[in-house]
Amino acid sequence: MKLPFWPRNKTSFSSNSKSYAKPLRLIVLLLLLGLSGYIFYLDVTIREAFEGRKFALPARVYGRALEVYPGLKLTPAQFVEELKRVGYHENPQPEQAATYKYTVTGVDFTSRDFVFGDGPQAAQHVRIEFAEGRVSLLQLRGDTPADLPILRMEPPLIGGIYPGHNEDRELLRLDQVPKPLIDSLLAVEDRKFYTHWGISPRGIARALYKTVTGQRIEGGSTLTQQLVKNFFLTSERTLSRKANEVLMSLLLEMHYDKDVILETYLNEIFLGQDASRAIHGFGLASHFYFDRPLERLELQEIATLVGMVKGPGVYDPRKHAENALKRRNVVLQEMVSQNVITQAQFVAARQKPLGVIQRAPTGTSPYPAFLQFVQRQLQHDYREEDLRSVGLRIFTTLDPYIQHQAETALQQRLTALEKARKNAANTLEGAVVVSSTQNGEIQAVVGGREARYAGFNRAIDAQRPIGSLAKPIVYLTALEQPERYTLITPLDDSALVWKQRGTTDWKPQNYDRQFHGQVQLRTALAHSYNVSTARLGIALGIEHILDKLPRYGIDRQPPPFASSMLGAYDLSPIEVAQLYQTFADNGFRTPLRAIREVVAADGKPLQRYPLNVEPVAAAAPVYLLTAALQGVVSEGTAQSLANWLPAELHVAGKTGTTDELRDSWFAGYSGDHVAVVWVGRDDNKPTGLTGASGAMTVWGEMMKNIQPEPLQPAVPEDIETVNVDPLSGLRYESDCKAGVLLPFIKGSAPAEVSPCGTPSADAVKTGDNAQVKPADVKHGDVKKDAEKKNWFQRLFN
Amino acid sequence: MINRYGLILISAWLLLLGGCQSVPTQPVAGGAVAQQPGEAASVAPEPGPVMSNNRAVIALLGLAQRDSAAGKPETAGASLERALRIEPRNPWLWHELAQLRLTQGQYAQAITLAQKSSSFAGSERHLQALNWRLIGNARVAQGDSAGAEQAFQRASELEQAGS
Repeated sequence: MKLPFWPRNKTSFSSNSKSYAKPLRLIVLLLLLGLSGYIFYLDVTIREAFEGRKFALPARVYGRALEVYPGLKLTPAQFVEELKRVGYHENPQPEQAATYKYTVTGVDFTSRDFVFGDGPQAAQHVRIEFAEGRVSLLQLRGDTPADLPILRMEPPLIGGIYPGHNEDRELLRLDQVPKPLIDSLLAVEDRKFYTHWGISPRGIARALYKTVTGQRIEGGSTLTQQLVKNFFLTSERTLSRKANEVLMSLLLEMHYDKDVILETYLNEIFLGQDASRAIHGFGLASHFYFDRPLERLELQEIATLVGMVKGPGVYDPRKHAENALKRRNVVLQEMVSQNVITQAQFVAARQKPLGVIQRAPTGTSPYPAFLQFVQRQLQHDYREEDLRSVGLRIFTTLDPYIQHQAETALQQRLTALEKARKNAANTLEGAVVVSSTQNGEIQAVVGGREARYAGFNRAIDAQRPIGSLAKPIVYLTALEQPERYTLITPLDDSALVWKQRGTTDWKPQNYDRQFHGQVQLRTALAHSYNVSTARLGIALGIEHILDKLPRYGIDRQPPPFASSMLGAYDLSPIEVAQLYQTFADNGFRTPLRAIREVVAADGKPLQRYPLNVEPVAAAAPVYLLTAALQGVVSEGTAQSLANWLPAELHVAGKTGTTDELRDSWFAGYSGDHVAVVWVGRDDNKPTGLTGASGAMTVWGEMMKNIQPEPLQPAVPEDIETVNVDPLSGLRYESDCKAGVLLPFIKGSAPAEVSPCGTPSADAVKTGDNAQVKPADVKHGDVKKDAEKKNWFQRLFN
Repeated sequence: MINRYGLILISAWLLLLGGCQSVPTQPVAGGAVAQQPGEAASVAPEPGPVMSNNRAVIALLGLAQRDSAAGKPETAGASLERALRIEPRNPWLWHELAQLRLTQGQYAQAITLAQKSSSFAGSERHLQALNWRLIGNARVAQGDSAGAEQAFQRASELEQAGS
């Protein structure tokens, strides 16, 4: 199409050719081209910024929603603590959403509308009563109260995943913004907003004048210009910057209508800083300064926020209350003179205090370690930019109550240990992971003693040798062969030298530097004997044992040496939790989960992370292993756990101590929780702590406060309980009081029945299947002394 | 209200399970739950086992049944998981979840969950039989006819021993 014109142009050019006109035209043309190119570049830049920012909404991360129902173990104090956690306020008339009041036997409250992953739940007026530490009544209040079988509370917000420069915001549509806010904003910042082209010629003239006269360039910005400035946050005030701003403002106005620009402005404008988190937009600022949604702000509070636009730092109502108050009143004054409010409203508003809440609601997560784990899980399924910008709502498994107990126990015990051992303060570090036994949901993650600090996350990233925590794998492998091994099979605990190609000779030692001759299998595990365990592992086959790790959810492959069986390889606390989860869950492996579901900003469910169970070990051997691990607590290296937990809980667990006492571990489980604690130093120096004197005390303190359910594993059908002599392992008649009841896989119990003999003093036992203190036949007395000493040491060293 | 609705659906559901028992070799893949509960409910109901004494759990079971019938298995699964958080050792809940996975075509999960149900079932032979039948159906769907036959055999033995 163009071609036919070309020759004609060419002719007209040539006919006009004078020697100087040609280059001049060319220069003008190039200049024009350059300018339009530049404008085009600005246009693309500003549109990209505008489109991008318009939708940049952080992901919101929620903890577990508390489910309340009659019979639930819950105290009024715990319940109110939860109400406060989800932002409820006390009110003598608790009829508004998110308000409550105490009654004689409980609490009356009104819940909020909330959109869960499975749909919306409407606000309800509820009465809850308590008796004997449990919920005794739950009903809808009203003229005819109706019983509620269950109520799901709103989940606590535990953090966000923010875009770019840690910008947080709460997106509002223009029609959600109260009119007084818009009116006052326009009155103060840009009266001609709805009529100008994006710039104020008078403002620009003034700016130019000031530049020419050498004064500071300031003011004169329309909302559009402010928005443009906000996109490219910089304090630079040069003429070229100003020129860009003007051009971009004009371009913005060409592309978008006023309401869209205003809406974006309201969501975009910078209104404060909370540590590393930037507070953007009036929606979030309302929560940040007044802990209420925008539509519930009073006039003077709106004026305070509008006043801050001029300078969020200078007029920060927390840091510079006086400035903020003055500025607020200027705004109110402006509003009344523009007839936005009446004189009476003005007088009333002016007299009120600022009313800012002193402590901002935590925005950057109070649970950084947990949040980090969530984020890593999400990164498998979502693009980083989507996490940060499309307003996903992420429902997680964190239980703030359990998390609190875990944090407190770690902090207090580490401080106490340092004090008792006269160590320098803050040299010990630690990590805790707690999950739910039956479904693998992670309830708490503590990444260090400073739980609020988002630094090195030891729960996930600290790889430490696990020591004796690895032993249950050896014993489970043995117990899976009932024709060879039972809980009372004698093991050889005599000196061992193991030669293996590729590594130096291995001479495992016991912690007490002694050998114990023949010991029963359960005793060897209870006292964590290294030598008998090593011999057992060698008999079973080193590779055979190490090859099982992936089955239990451990992907790391330890070196193929015999020492690996005793835990000479590194795992993180969360990996150990995965390992013990399978033992706690009767041989079913459930991948640990921190996320239940992800929901789009509009409430549409995007992804669920359903319970996934895989049988990886037969139930009966795992049952025996659990019995042996209960023995660790009732009579073995973890006996002093009795200082924290009553014996009736029958918790199972294992201590772990590594060379030169560098790492102190405890992993264990109750009927409802699996928990792992690691204690050590970041510089990997010895701590002087064994598993029992360090990590186990944290575990005990934490579990005591969590109040776990007793551990009573379901008895697999191929398990029988047999009365045996605890020393010789011979079978007794079932009515023989001298015996002890132990579980066996059917067909593996000793067949020969011996007469009910006189038991040794150690072996007296009455009835139930709680394990007696086992004693090694040959070294019983000697060992007992050693045990006492160890126990004493464990407790006080 | 949820509660009453739930109970009706649960009894309908149990009847459907009963229906499955009479045709053991037919897999129920494709939706035992979705098969017109109304029709099944018109059959004179036998008193079913009490799946839980906890009203919260019963209410959640009702929700799960409703969502499952409405073709929302994911939501139904979420409600069952909520119930399991309250009663993690309730074998009926595990069985329900197994059944749901079966209808979703997740046969391996269905089998595992049925095993898990049985691990908590203790002496409830009736439920153990239901679990074996479910495992049989899942194995049929997986193409493991020998394994399925074994499972159905176990189920029959348990049913006979129980009666």
